[in-house]
Amino acid sequence: MALLEAIGIGKTYPGGVVANDGVNLVIEPGEVHAVVGENGAGKSTLMKILFGIEQPNAGRLVLDGKDVSFAGPRAAIDAGIGMVFQHFSLVPSFAVYENVVMGSEPRQGIRFDRKRAIAEVQALSDKFRLKVDPLPPVSSLPVGQQQRVEILKALYRNARILILDEPTAVLAPQEVQELFVAIRSLVAQGKTVIFIAHKLPEVLEISDRITVMRQGKTVGQVKSSEVTEKSLAALMVGREVTLRVDRKPTDQSKRVAEVRGLRVVNARGTEVVAGLDLNVHAGEIVGLVGVEGNGQAETLEAIAGLKPIAAGDITLSGEAINGLPVLDRRGRGLASIPEDRISEGLATGATVAENLVSTKLTDRRFVRSGLLDLKAIRDNATKLIAEHSIRVGGPGYTVGTLSGGNMQKVVVARELSEQPKLLLVNQPTRGVDLGATQFIWRTITDARDKGAAVLLSSADLSELLALSDRLLVLYRGRLVAAFLNTPDLTPETLGTYMLGLSTQTAEDMKPALR
Amino acid sequence: MMDIFLTVFSATFFVTIIRTTTPLLLATLGGLVADLSGALNVALEGMMLIGCLTAVIVSVYAPWYVAVLAGLGVGGLLGAMMAFFAYRLKADIILVGFAVNILAAGGTVFALALATGGDKGTSINLQSQAIPAVDLSFLSAIPGIGPILTAFLSGHSVLSWLAAFLVFAVWYFLFRTPWGLWLRGVGEYPGAPEAAGIPVAKVRTWSLVVSGALAGLGGAQLAMFNYVGFTRDMTAGRGFIALGAVLLGARHPVGALLAALLFGTFEAFAVVLPGLFNWMPAELIRMIPFVVTIAALVLFSIRAQRALAMRGVK
Ligand SMILES: Nc1ncnc2c1ncn2[C@@H]1O[C@H](COP(=O)(O)OP(=O)(O)OP(=O)(O)O)[C@@H](O)[C@H]1O
Ligand SMILES: [Mg+2]
Repeated sequence: MALLEAIGIGKTYPGGVVANDGVNLVIEPGEVHAVVGENGAGKSTLMKILFGIEQPNAGRLVLDGKDVSFAGPRAAIDAGIGMVFQHFSLVPSFAVYENVVMGSEPRQGIRFDRKRAIAEVQALSDKFRLKVDPLPPVSSLPVGQQQRVEILKALYRNARILILDEPTAVLAPQEVQELFVAIRSLVAQGKTVIFIAHKLPEVLEISDRITVMRQGKTVGQVKSSEVTEKSLAALMVGREVTLRVDRKPTDQSKRVAEVRGLRVVNARGTEVVAGLDLNVHAGEIVGLVGVEGNGQAETLEAIAGLKPIAAGDITLSGEAINGLPVLDRRGRGLASIPEDRISEGLATGATVAENLVSTKLTDRRFVRSGLLDLKAIRDNATKLIAEHSIRVGGPGYTVGTLSGGNMQKVVVARELSEQPKLLLVNQPTRGVDLGATQFIWRTITDARDKGAAVLLSSADLSELLALSDRLLVLYRGRLVAAFLNTPDLTPETLGTYMLGLSTQTAEDMKPALR
Repeated sequence: MMDIFLTVFSATFFVTIIRTTTPLLLATLGGLVADLSGALNVALEGMMLIGCLTAVIVSVYAPWYVAVLAGLGVGGLLGAMMAFFAYRLKADIILVGFAVNILAAGGTVFALALATGGDKGTSINLQSQAIPAVDLSFLSAIPGIGPILTAFLSGHSVLSWLAAFLVFAVWYFLFRTPWGLWLRGVGEYPGAPEAAGIPVAKVRTWSLVVSGALAGLGGAQLAMFNYVGFTRDMTAGRGFIALGAVLLGARHPVGALLAALLFGTFEAFAVVLPGLFNWMPAELIRMIPFVVTIAALVLFSIRAQRALAMRGVK
């Protein structure tokens, strides 16, 4: 008998977006069940319904053969369902153990029994091989560990069914492997896992069965052992997709950006970028390779003007831009696709149209004599929505209601609606579906082909290898290796430098440092 | 000059400080509880003022402790009302807060006129009572330090002792009980407690109720001990100073105590200085606590900015 069944689920959001339309999902006990589909297909919505956060307009849920309905997360938690959201829900200043037990604290009289809480969290972390120290505040942990805290939170409440909404999107490759180890140990101990992801190799590696969603409907359920990456992609998108881009030969003689002796110190006073030199030329994509937290993000933020720098010089087209505010840098042709679209890339409470012009408020096309030209702004949005196939009800919808991948498309559309001189890109396709990934890759390479200098950072090595002309490997804020992107360059080679196992000599690096 | 020192280091001055600090401290604790839950209570001023009048009127007909409870209760009710408008009817909480303040400013004068039969300024012709002071003169029997102890510890309002205890109680609640954890979590990142099944709006409602009750209690102290009787606008901005004190005290109960003491001390100055410097306009002296509030908040904010800048955050 199936453990959990969703039958004919329908969900229309206020505002008229049909997110689920007759969705069927059958979860067997003890399996890892993947749910895949394009951005906006309705996966997160379905999961929120299973977890009681959203109420379905149609259909029913059957748990252990009995009809159930969840008025809120509390009811779902009590029924043994746990969920880890696409965007974490942890209180940043609270300790790990406080976050885990919050809402079901062990008590002694009226006192919160901290000792017992710490011991229980430790025991749970040992039992399920989710290693994390219970004491530090979660804000001090890398995302991979924050995610473990989220999983522990669900397990602490005795979840039998664990829903993971795009857990791998925020993880570095080795963290993904650690997560998979944890998932396998969960299943071995009798738990059931529902897993959402966009990267098909991951899906095929971890799941037993796969449900495919398209435009709010379930279009099929398959056994992982019976499909290939290709056939699954075709099922998802409804057509064949190949993730490959061709880069045209370009004139790369003009140096656009120069960074000399860049040093960045983080909030805790440690040096995260330690004397970095690099150049980016017109018509080339330079990939910054490294395990997350080795200075790539900080380098990009320093160039964009989002982080104060401790030392160094940054020039754009020969002019120093060190002390310039962000807007002036943008005025000189800099564009930036930041890592965190929600907190840095978008104003989630504003509309899509507003977000699409938010960096262009000095542009005479949209602002005339101090007043917004609403019609021009709307037309601009309509055009970009069509060009980038952003799935949204219209230009007037707030960005916060978009699915994760569609939010990213809004950022990309805004930054590349004009040809930049220097484009900074960090994690462009995190949480973005196959079709959109292909589209975003295409857009970035188009900008390059037309002469933009691009500096790209990504946790996804295959993305770096697919897009870059040159690759620079960072370890602890220093340059440890540099490569021209030739077909014989493998992820394994990059890996040894990323982990700091070896370092190139200045001589070795020379050919790839221009 | 000499008499200034004599005054400042005297036991009477200490007792004055405690007296001026108590209403502020109670309101600050109220502000703290609400602020930590993410429901900024800008209505402390109005709640205190209504607390003042309620306590005074009830004390005419009932024993002092019933009057104090009435002040507390009306504050709590106002908190519940704010929560109803903000969370049930989804009104903006700052606007609701200001509405309470405006209601209090006008409403108390109106109610006062009804209660006194026409007097719109003071409750002078009402026989209102005072909160008793705690007499610890038996401590004098202790040889040596006895008389000093008596001088410093005797003569404080019952509510001053209660306020001191409440600093501890609020601290214990916030940092040692599960509900304190909920409250702080709800204030910092409501999404997290919500996903854990904690009713966010309910937590905030209760903090507003407690916040209002504490402000009402502060009002009772003000109108039944610091002054006996009601005067229009007698809170004179104390509720707003309390909001500042919450921030100045780094959103911690002990910090709240220190901040309230700071402002209380300057208010005490404003009480004793006119006698010493009769050439200074009394209005100027009465401005001191407010000037100090602004200066302290500006300094605090500059320091916080610097600390952030040092850590490279913009
Ligand atoms: N709160 C909301 N209000 C209105 N529309 C919404 C809301 N949440 C989601 N939607 C819409 O419902 C559709 C499905 O969204 P959902 O988040 O379920 O997609 P998804 O499959 O999880 O996509 P992704 O892979 O990008 O995360 C989208 O078109 C989205 O814009
Ligand atoms: Mg989603």
